[in-house]
Amino acid sequence: MTGGHEIGDLRARLAAGDGPAFWRSLDAVADSPAFRAFLEAEYPAAARLAAAPDRRGFLRAMAASLAMSGLAACGQPDGRTEEVPYVRQPERIVPGTALSYASAALVDGFANGVLVTTRNGRPLKIEGNPAHPWSRGGTDVFAQASVLGLYDPFRLQAPHYLGRPSAWQAFRAAMTGRFAALRATDGGRGLHLVTGPVTSPSLAAQIAAMRRDFPAMRWHVAAPAGREALYEGAREAYGRPLETRWRLGEARTIVSLDGDLLDAGPGQVGQSRDWIEARRAAAAAGRLLSLHHAGPTPSLTGAKADAPLAVGSDALAQIARDLLAEAGGGTAEVRDGPVAAWRRRAFAALNGARGAGVVLAGAHAAPALLAQVHRLNAALGNTGRCVFHTAPVPAQEAEPLAALVEAMARGAARAVVMLDVNPVYDAPGDLGFTEALARVPLKIHAGLYRDETAAHCDWTLPLAHPLESWGDARALDGTVTLIQPTVAPLYDGRTVPEILSILTDAEARDGRGLLDAHWRRPGEDEAAARARLEEALRAGFLPGTALPEESVAAPAPAAARPAAGAPAPSSGPARRVEVLFRPDPTIWDGSLSDLAWLQELPKPLTKVVWGNVVAVSPRLAEREELEQGDVVTLEAGGRRLEGPVWILPGQADDAVTVTLGYGRRAPGLLADGLGYDAYGLRAAASPWRLADATLARTGRRQPPVTTQDHGTMEGHDLVRVRALGAPAAPSAPLPSLYPPAPASAEGRHGGERAWGMVIDLDACIGCNACVTACQSENNIPVVGREEVARGRWLHWLRIDRYYEGGLDQPATHFMPVPCMHCEQAPCEVGCPVEATLHDREGLNLMVYNRCVGTRACSSYCPYKVRRFNYLDYAGDMAPVQQQQRNPEVTVRARGVMEKCTYCVQRIAAARIDATKADHAPIPDGAVETACQGACPTRAITFGDLRDPASQVAAAAADPRNYALLGALNTRPRTTYLARLAAGGTGAGPEGEP
Amino acid sequence: MRQLFAPGADALFRLALLTAAACLAALPVVGAGLMRSSYVTGVGVAPAQPVPFSHKHHSGELAIDCRYCHTSVETQATAGIPPTHTCMTCHGQIWSGSDMLAPVRASYARDEPLHWTRLNKLPGYVYYNHAVHVQNGIGCSTCHGNVTEMQLTYRANAFEMSFCLDCHRNPEKYVRPKDEILTMTWSPPANQAEIGPELVRQYHIRGGERLTECAICHR
Repeated sequence: MTGGHEIGDLRARLAAGDGPAFWRSLDAVADSPAFRAFLEAEYPAAARLAAAPDRRGFLRAMAASLAMSGLAACGQPDGRTEEVPYVRQPERIVPGTALSYASAALVDGFANGVLVTTRNGRPLKIEGNPAHPWSRGGTDVFAQASVLGLYDPFRLQAPHYLGRPSAWQAFRAAMTGRFAALRATDGGRGLHLVTGPVTSPSLAAQIAAMRRDFPAMRWHVAAPAGREALYEGAREAYGRPLETRWRLGEARTIVSLDGDLLDAGPGQVGQSRDWIEARRAAAAAGRLLSLHHAGPTPSLTGAKADAPLAVGSDALAQIARDLLAEAGGGTAEVRDGPVAAWRRRAFAALNGARGAGVVLAGAHAAPALLAQVHRLNAALGNTGRCVFHTAPVPAQEAEPLAALVEAMARGAARAVVMLDVNPVYDAPGDLGFTEALARVPLKIHAGLYRDETAAHCDWTLPLAHPLESWGDARALDGTVTLIQPTVAPLYDGRTVPEILSILTDAEARDGRGLLDAHWRRPGEDEAAARARLEEALRAGFLPGTALPEESVAAPAPAAARPAAGAPAPSSGPARRVEVLFRPDPTIWDGSLSDLAWLQELPKPLTKVVWGNVVAVSPRLAEREELEQGDVVTLEAGGRRLEGPVWILPGQADDAVTVTLGYGRRAPGLLADGLGYDAYGLRAAASPWRLADATLARTGRRQPPVTTQDHGTMEGHDLVRVRALGAPAAPSAPLPSLYPPAPASAEGRHGGERAWGMVIDLDACIGCNACVTACQSENNIPVVGREEVARGRWLHWLRIDRYYEGGLDQPATHFMPVPCMHCEQAPCEVGCPVEATLHDREGLNLMVYNRCVGTRACSSYCPYKVRRFNYLDYAGDMAPVQQQQRNPEVTVRARGVMEKCTYCVQRIAAARIDATKADHAPIPDGAVETACQGACPTRAITFGDLRDPASQVAAAAADPRNYALLGALNTRPRTTYLARLAAGGTGAGPEGEP
Repeated sequence: MRQLFAPGADALFRLALLTAAACLAALPVVGAGLMRSSYVTGVGVAPAQPVPFSHKHHSGELAIDCRYCHTSVETQATAGIPPTHTCMTCHGQIWSGSDMLAPVRASYARDEPLHWTRLNKLPGYVYYNHAVHVQNGIGCSTCHGNVTEMQLTYRANAFEMSFCLDCHRNPEKYVRPKDEILTMTWSPPANQAEIGPELVRQYHIRGGERLTECAICHR
């Protein structure tokens, strides 16, 4: 693997234009013989197995496979020996037919509107809710994977007392007396309630009622990946916490200073939709809605920026100061270098669009920077126009976790109730939460799992999964989104409001009762209130509940700048660096770390799976002679962590990024033993950044497993970037030795329809929602860390990440690659048993029961989109997990090749529906593939290419349209729209107006 | 030294060789016969059911419409097995004390479903849709046989792939007029060769080439 000693050479190669224009990894740039061999092996494990077995080994394998085939021939009972009808058939439930419920998926307590598809009473798939005003049909990886969490066999299934199984009645009986006693003494002094961020109006009201009941009770919010910094920044500028939102549709330029406009989190679905709609509208009007991004660590927002810049946090603060000075007519302090050049361009764009510009910073930025951004927007006249504010969505009355630790350490805490939080694991390491907790006499914890906190508590209560719960939560725009159960609880779980009701109400109420009671208007008839709620439940949200815009005064001016401290001496063997903390892009703060889909989902930028890495810049790696996978120690204030290095192009030189969520210590959980725990290094006062830490090598190596070089394609012009409004390139037919193929799409497979897909690279933000949706829809099993390392992953859809330009400031591109459904498919030539062949509508079919597993098709496939079941990955799943499988899709066995089918089951359903509707044509949009439906930016279009009025035909006719590896004459049905750039065909900072 | 082999040993050895050869030759024949036998396919075998329900009585003698119980056959992929409630619509009134119906009453009273032994089963990778067949001229009896003659219900066809393909290749031989779909005793009339292609056209059934594409049944 490439390491520090070679980085200088690589940089020189790229700078000299000697390397590839678009590259995926440092290894690919180095193009060493070892890397060539890796690519040629394609399936490295198969190559190893094929490496000349001796005669005995061969015979042994033959004998074993004969014996196995005999076993396989024996019919296994498949659990379908009985028909079990209902006793009384519920209305609207027809066995085998899909039924959809509107509900909400939660990220950190914030809602995204979703539709839950159920079949036979089991929730199987999450779709976006097109009517929801915030999510508008889009979803994110967390929503898509939540359905897996429901069927997780590791879930806590019953209340436990002191580690032994107990019951809810016992809990209630034990608590009644103790809570009465607490109430009697000083109104609940010593009682502490800990929750996650509360956006639910009904839960907030319930807690408020509880605080009236227990006036001395203290409430704390533990939000390890929360948005506190945003509210702190608003407090500094405006004196009160505020949510900042943007009207991107009216904006002419966006400048992001460590912003998270498109990154995973509560805002991703709605914000990325706002962004792409604005960008598309601008492109239609002939201009580019440019996105300038400067940040210390690569992010999705940075990847989509037309002008990305990697700078450290201090330089970023300087940029903000200089921009503010320039906006006020003053002059900047920094005049030279690439940072100043970037700032000048950004300022020119902002200055040219005063009142129609947006400056933004993200939830992980420093509050001081966020306040500067408020001042900047005010100075540019953007505030109140393109930038506006609402009241904060989560309730703000709670105290931070540090106050709880202080009370516990003093011995003042008599009872701690921790609901849906895991502070023993995710409290910042400098708080000493676990030691303080030991001093509390009564510790109650409710969670989905028996996690680290559960292990330290007296009472451990199982939470109901959101898919089995009644509840409500606000989306980031404030829209109250309702949560309704889609299945009877699998286990004996209760929701947070139900547990609070057990603790405080004389008669414990259920979730629906609590919801009804909260939303009943004063004086409203009970039946009328219920009917109104039923109507809202059908839509999934309460219309008109978005938070209104708040007008703000002029922001407070910045406090005098503290004198810059002396630069830290970089002496000794350890080097001083700035450490940035970020939530993990797939498992978030660790609360989702038990979901195998998310563990095996390649992280958008590193493509690492099943673990986290310590991201360092190429320059730091070069200086410290670090290689990919070297274990380093980061140490600050006596706290430390050890993790493997990842050399991340586009990382600011002296910044090191660590991600939260790994290093779990709860035995028995899936995530146990994966990665390192970054919480231990964290400081409560500055949760997202440690200004001064030391980095040292340990000498050990622990190479992370990554998919970034899996499925590498041989060819050129894979990713294309096209200037806005550039004339269409003349498409002269390439010279070929073959006779000319029929020209039209319908020529070769003359069916009624010609299914095709167009993927817009300008819209793709690399968020992975499509990959998870595909996994959920198509019963794609998880193979595990070791198998991924061997190249045996099974995702039908992968997102390739390419870098363009130099090592230190590259542009980043994302490219989703499903099966291309080539009209002249090379794979079909390779198959000896016709297990892969075309139908008349142009689908490249895979017939599992014909496949004998030669894998020839895969070696013939230039796009590397075929996946092989080396082992029986789907076979040994727990029965409860098998409940999640989509019955419309075959569960593939061992030894079978598989790949994207264009969701043939959805096409078949639409075809059958059309046939039943008196042979009506299938309307455009009636077939939505899983990936298409999940995409928050609507980057994927699917439909009938023969229908000239279809959206996909329009996209195929776009001048940006191109075929991946089109020179091979495979005539792929999946084509791409080139990414947009301002001027010239090159992407990146040069292409600025 | 005594001879090890008796005079007849050679003959015995030859006989053994011949028998072995014959067995080898017979093995595929016997195997194929076994695979086609009702022991394996289950055709014609009525398994024990919690209630000895008679299609002959209900559907034949009483002439209750198929769709009274199999409610979703015209609209959904599955025809639907009736809930206990459907049985009790009549048997709450008639034969309400019959011993034979005790499991039905128990199911209704205890809210525990009846567990019927499954008769018709396709492999997991085959996707069949009742509605689209019933609406396009394929009658119940084509696959399920004449259930009005079945005292106890059994599987009428083995549902091997060739059974499906016979019809998917030549639908005109099997399609019926709409009003004959539920007729259990239907057999192709003498002029099927004339009305068949006409019906195929009316039903917009695509040709054999399209209907035999893999993705029509396999996903």
